[in-house]
Amino acid sequence: MATSLLRTKLYAPRRRRGLVPRPNLTQRLAQGADTKLTLVSAPAGFGKSTLLAEWLGEQAAAGAATAWLSLDPGDNEPAAFWAHVVAALREAVPGTGADALTLLESPGAAVEAALAALINELAAAPNPIVLVLDDYHVIDAPEIQDGMAFVLEHLPANVRLVMATRVDPSLPLARLRARGELTEIRAADLRFSTAEAKAYFNATLGLALTEANVADLERRTEGWIAALQLAGLSMQGRDDVAGFIAGFAGDDRYIVDYLVEEVLHRQPEQVRSFLLETSILTRLTGSLCDAVTGQDGGRATLDVLDRGNLFLIPLDDRRQWYRYHHLFADVLRVRLLDDLPGLAPQLHRRASEWHEAHGDRPEAIRHAMAGGDLARAANLVELAIPATVQQREEATLRQWLEALPDEVLRDRPVLSNAYAGTLLVRGEVAGVEQRLQDAERWMDAKADDPAGPMVVVDEAAFRRLPGSVAVHRAGQARILGDTAGAVFHAQRALTLVLESDHLSRGAAATLLALATWSTGDLEDAGRGYAVGMASLEQAGHLSDVIGCGLALADIRLAQGRPTEALRVLEQGLALATSDAGRVLRGAADMHIGISTILRERNDIAGARDQLLKADELGEDNGLPQNQYRSRVALAAIRQADGDLDGAIELLAQAERLYVNDFSPDVRPVAAVKVRVLIAAGRLAEAIGWAREAGVGTTDELTYLREFEHITLARLLLAQGSPPTDLLEGLLDAAESGGRNASVIEILMLLALARRAGDDLPGALQALDHAMAMAQPEGYVRVFVDEGAPLAALLASAVNASTSQAYVRRLLLAFGPGDAARPAAQPLVEPLSGRELDVLRLLASDLDGPDIARELYVSLNTLRTHTKNIFAKLGVNSRREAVRRAAKLGLLARTNLDRPLA
Amino acid sequence: MRETPNPHEPGRYEIRLQGHLNSRWTAWFDGLTLSRESDGTTVISGLIVDQAALHGLLQKIRNTGLPLICVTCVEPNPASR
Repeated sequence: MATSLLRTKLYAPRRRRGLVPRPNLTQRLAQGADTKLTLVSAPAGFGKSTLLAEWLGEQAAAGAATAWLSLDPGDNEPAAFWAHVVAALREAVPGTGADALTLLESPGAAVEAALAALINELAAAPNPIVLVLDDYHVIDAPEIQDGMAFVLEHLPANVRLVMATRVDPSLPLARLRARGELTEIRAADLRFSTAEAKAYFNATLGLALTEANVADLERRTEGWIAALQLAGLSMQGRDDVAGFIAGFAGDDRYIVDYLVEEVLHRQPEQVRSFLLETSILTRLTGSLCDAVTGQDGGRATLDVLDRGNLFLIPLDDRRQWYRYHHLFADVLRVRLLDDLPGLAPQLHRRASEWHEAHGDRPEAIRHAMAGGDLARAANLVELAIPATVQQREEATLRQWLEALPDEVLRDRPVLSNAYAGTLLVRGEVAGVEQRLQDAERWMDAKADDPAGPMVVVDEAAFRRLPGSVAVHRAGQARILGDTAGAVFHAQRALTLVLESDHLSRGAAATLLALATWSTGDLEDAGRGYAVGMASLEQAGHLSDVIGCGLALADIRLAQGRPTEALRVLEQGLALATSDAGRVLRGAADMHIGISTILRERNDIAGARDQLLKADELGEDNGLPQNQYRSRVALAAIRQADGDLDGAIELLAQAERLYVNDFSPDVRPVAAVKVRVLIAAGRLAEAIGWAREAGVGTTDELTYLREFEHITLARLLLAQGSPPTDLLEGLLDAAESGGRNASVIEILMLLALARRAGDDLPGALQALDHAMAMAQPEGYVRVFVDEGAPLAALLASAVNASTSQAYVRRLLLAFGPGDAARPAAQPLVEPLSGRELDVLRLLASDLDGPDIARELYVSLNTLRTHTKNIFAKLGVNSRREAVRRAAKLGLLARTNLDRPLA
Repeated sequence: MRETPNPHEPGRYEIRLQGHLNSRWTAWFDGLTLSRESDGTTVISGLIVDQAALHGLLQKIRNTGLPLICVTCVEPNPASR
């Protein structure tokens, strides 16, 4: 949105001339200072905005940080709505909401996470904050209402939310009312009393009406302020006031209609037509009015209307922008349709042209559509595509495209292709193919194709079309799980994209890399990701770069290149934290990845530290996969601690939290868990898994099932039937696929298998080979996790092996005095930092909702924490938990001074 | 048995408002019929294609500030007769 227009949305109307003081109402508002929500709910024309503007001015004078947002129908979309709320709050608290905006911009944004970040910042503000949302009735999107309910649930005490609306919002009003958290001012409170009406007519307008006159007007208007104001305008300068009142009071006509007619009748012809012709505008400024009316002097006419109190509401201090009072505008538009039929489309067209020339495409599009000029609207939408996609406003783009009929879209390849893109962004495939075919039809067409005229306004976008369509096809294939199709279309896209089209190039390269990864060609996949990530970074799509970094690190790890994986993750982390104060989503995932690598190198303390850092960023900073990946990483640390049951429990949780992010599932969590089960001697469960998963020794050995086959080999080894053949087969496959991490593990297992088969020289040869590969990259745990059998074998290798220092280092790592073990809590499974926070609050007298608010988490999250705390402490109630925690000294040792995350 | 309206099919509705609306509002209400009754109310009536259209109409009425008295579906499935 153009800055000047955004400014008008954030402008709190200033005190107007001739206001009747309303001490009863401002007092009611003042008394509600402690309530979370103030609802001013009444039909149009009841003076809601005027009252709030007046009161907000007093609040600001009293030291509150105040913000105002005038909503319009374009705000009924979560991204736009919250972005504007943040913009408004920045008027009150400069610079606030940077994290929230980042989170809102990231794809698949968790709105609650963004709002929690915003709430945290507001809570830290020094002053009371008042945010007024005017015309809230334009908001009815359920996602926004849910977000607003979340905000209200967690609203810090220093923030007060005020809504002016014609319709009660879909919020838990009854609950707020019951808790005394709602201040309500309704139509019955807002209407003018007879005394107020009298003060208005006689003191403000100087009309000298009698009590009976005022009573008649009051009765006819039922205190409706807009009507009283119109009546006042009609009476000013009129000789026969009594006659006017008698006529008005005895008429059943719609008051506003009647009075507007009276008012218009008293205006010069030029003003009258100005009012009708400009009634189509959402906002008015001099040059825009001139463009629409085709006359000069718009600015001067606006001044006249402003001075005459003709329902013109200034939207800024310099009186550059105005809008009509909504009620008045509707009546004017009705008269426009009736008095000047057929003129409206022409007026809309002029308004659209003015907005286009002044850089406000959304408003230009709105007018083109309102005027029924769909071709013009479609042209404008086409030109708006690059900006909307870059700003991640695909939802707005989709609304525009949905408003255009198919016959308009079909002739416009750029629009058809963009439509497919807006569907794919939401993971939808229905309708995508048709749109892509519509687009392709024109790419292949000759200039003199008889199919009819193709329409393209963005020539550059048309030149990018072949590459972009192919990228969309690859994305479609990915969603459908068609790897071959994804490879085919992504490869095609790479040959078609233009040098300058970084976004399509990056998308094609990473889609191809993902598909290549699934086929097991790690070298190609890794190269593809690296190239694609560079393009995505050039295109400014940082979140995608970070997400791809996770995949690239996994590939490097599989290749036995943890040093390189570490560098990829550290670069991702740097990117996610490059903007001071704005941590992009995915930083937590980088920490988890780094933790896994440090653990493999037996830096358990460092690994633990990385998990803490991820924890401090909060669950919301993680990508969707982080939920399960973080548990897998923690389980590995538990295992290193010797807590196998704890590890198994965490892995069971991870299995439930697994999300498929299109990456090949090359380390299924179930198999990871089975490995720990085998280590714990729970072979029956492991055998059950092998049967259920259908893993056998005679299977074809593919990359996708390699991890499961190695797990099977471990099971057979534990059962006393050394699977030497299976391991040799796996070794061949892993070596030819360049999967060195697997090669090292398989060689190590082969050594154990040969040892079990009394082939000591063969065993030592395999182990030596494994160590030669493992040493340069610093692998430790792959050996140490095997425990005593491997320690014994290593001891025999001390003399045979070539890398003596490394062998000694490994042997030391088996030692009982594990220095990396932390100062443990006296619990089998220690409480996390967050759980200690919760525990401390459980010891207070706050109730559940209060604790959740204090920690800025949802009640559900709090329940999960509480459940985990109870399980770890072995208790069933809050009281028991607090007692046991006190006994264990956990309350005293919590970091009371640590700021909450 | 009373016929219930199918929300996805057109139905004939009558909407009564407090106050008299001039016939010039006919275009504003997309060509629906406006009739002014002697009790000072206006009845807006006509075929409304579905629930979304009905709610759109009610929103337009809301924006006038005219008190809404009642909404009646007088003929649920006129097309099926």
